[in-house]
Amino acid sequence: MEVVTMLKQVDLFRGLDNSQLELVGQITVQEDFNDGDVIFEQGDHAGKMYIVSEGQVEIIVEHSDGQQNPVVFLGTGQIIGEMTLVDEGKRSATVKASGEMTRLYSILNTKFVELCRSNTDIGYMIMRNIAQDMSFKLRHRGFEAKDS
Amino acid sequence: MIYKVSYIVNDGSKPGSIKNEQERPVIGDTVHIGVHEFRVVDVYEIMPPRDDFLYLHATVEEVAETEAHA
Repeated sequence: MEVVTMLKQVDLFRGLDNSQLELVGQITVQEDFNDGDVIFEQGDHAGKMYIVSEGQVEIIVEHSDGQQNPVVFLGTGQIIGEMTLVDEGKRSATVKASGEMTRLYSILNTKFVELCRSNTDIGYMIMRNIAQDMSFKLRHRGFEAKDS
Repeated sequence: MIYKVSYIVNDGSKPGSIKNEQERPVIGDTVHIGVHEFRVVDVYEIMPPRDDFLYLHATVEEVAETEAHA
């Protein structure tokens, strides 16, 4: 799938036109993973965010007693690691590929911030969409707490 | 239209999922989350649609292994 076509299906880039999506596409790198591959671990220093293009990933939180708790699967069109763009903190969870083939696109934080600074229209829309995505994830967690 | 769906397992026994779907899920559909198969038992909008995106919450129940292989 062409990168711009893939980006159009990602909520994070909603509102961007084709020329803006092409600029984003220029800083994305395709990365493929097999079942069980660790994409990053909780506590790692974070340098990039990811977009799930195909397959799914499992988000696992490790508690202070060492117990690992799978919290959610993220599939096509979802973003991973975007919190570090906002707070520059360490990874808050471990992420593993789940299934035969998982295709992600990564974007280095430095390149992402550079793009947002040099093109503030893109920066505004992506930051707005990141906030809305976090809101959606919070609602998901809220439903989970209510239903369990 | 792209459907961004928050799937929650009804009894909380397994993690849910968030993913985009090309078609709106309806009650009775089956969906794979991790290695398990689930059936949709409830669907509704949780946020107003924006551009080409529609935001849904779906509650699912696990399909019994015997049923899944029947």
